[in-house]
Amino acid sequence: MKKILIVEDIPDNAELVRRIMVSRGFEVLHAADAETGLEMAMSSHPDLILLDLGLPDHDGLTLAGWLRAEAAFGQVPIIAYTAWPPEAASHMAETYGCDGYIGKPIGSVKEFAEKIESFLKA
Amino acid sequence: MSDTITTGIKLIPASRFSIGQLTAIYNQTRVDYMVPMPMNEARLVEYINTYDVDLGHSLVAMQDEEMLGVAMLGLREGRAWLTRLGVIPNTRRQGVGLALCEGFLEQAHNLGINFQMLEVIKNNVPAQTLFLKLGFYEVGELLVLRRSPIIPPAEPVVADAQRLDRNEALDLVGQDRGTQPWTNQSESLSNASEVSGLRLTLVDGSTGWLVYQRQKFLLTRFAFKTQTGNPVDMAHAFLSHLHHQYPRLDTHLENIQVHDPHLPAFYEAGYLESFRRIEMWRGSPPPSLTGGEH
Repeated sequence: MKKILIVEDIPDNAELVRRIMVSRGFEVLHAADAETGLEMAMSSHPDLILLDLGLPDHDGLTLAGWLRAEAAFGQVPIIAYTAWPPEAASHMAETYGCDGYIGKPIGSVKEFAEKIESFLKA
Repeated sequence: MSDTITTGIKLIPASRFSIGQLTAIYNQTRVDYMVPMPMNEARLVEYINTYDVDLGHSLVAMQDEEMLGVAMLGLREGRAWLTRLGVIPNTRRQGVGLALCEGFLEQAHNLGINFQMLEVIKNNVPAQTLFLKLGFYEVGELLVLRRSPIIPPAEPVVADAQRLDRNEALDLVGQDRGTQPWTNQSESLSNASEVSGLRLTLVDGSTGWLVYQRQKFLLTRFAFKTQTGNPVDMAHAFLSHLHHQYPRLDTHLENIQVHDPHLPAFYEAGYLESFRRIEMWRGSPPPSLTGGEH
């Protein structure tokens, strides 16, 4: 079973992602801040990390850059999850080593899930 | 103008609320921002300590038992700073922000402070209009910059590089930065932990220094000066040494003056502009902040 770690401080957002991806056969872990996200990433070795950029303890992009430099996460897809305007989200995600971004709020459950799955297959 | 609710608003000193309550109201005021920048309690405490926020003179707007907004007051010799001003989304445009700002000015007046400072995000027209109406005026434009650690650092420029401990670094920063943006004033660095610095002499004899704070994942709070020589060359040199020393750390810089002569070297080193702020003052800086000049 593929494992997804979502790092997101808003519980409703995290729960929505959990429900969508669990229903498609994934295991979903949740961390509500960057420090916990880093600990869970190191201990649970997720197959994909979905990262909110506005976290209460550290900036999400800061965590992305840190994770990307860890050898253990060199090949793990890191996806920014943000309400930023598309152009800024895309540019900053790339600059910090993310594999892409997914915009908030989730418009289509099907499209959201397929996008996550596409990052895992890439 | 939509309906006003100002008649029922009470302004309560923020010191009567717990840090948890203040964190919650602050986060609620930002929840619909494009970049919400939420804080946890630890970050808010750090913010209060670093920026000399006086909770006894900071205000929470209440109606009945509901918190509607917050305005914090930073207090240093001869100056006050309006910060963390915010109103929860469903009560905006009803006079709460104006009441908080007027309350802030009254608190400053009661403290004998006639010089107030703030920064507002560029293009936040409603907020800027409010501040202009209250007597603030624009004094400059500021950059918020960041640099990703994914960018490989340049090779360090050949130079005589001397590492500075906290005391040496703070000595260089000095105490004459009272009219700089609040976040970059001497007190902000003095209050911060893990501050150190770097003094460089280049092969052509140019001299300069950089003081910074190193956090767990982040370099931030830069103060820098070119004492002799070309500012771009000096910045290129100190950034090359700094990022070579800390290749894994993200870098965030707040409120760099848009005309700072060192800036080309920052862009060359991979710094990106996150957004801009407008710096606004109300009143004139007292002589103690300007070396006697007006």
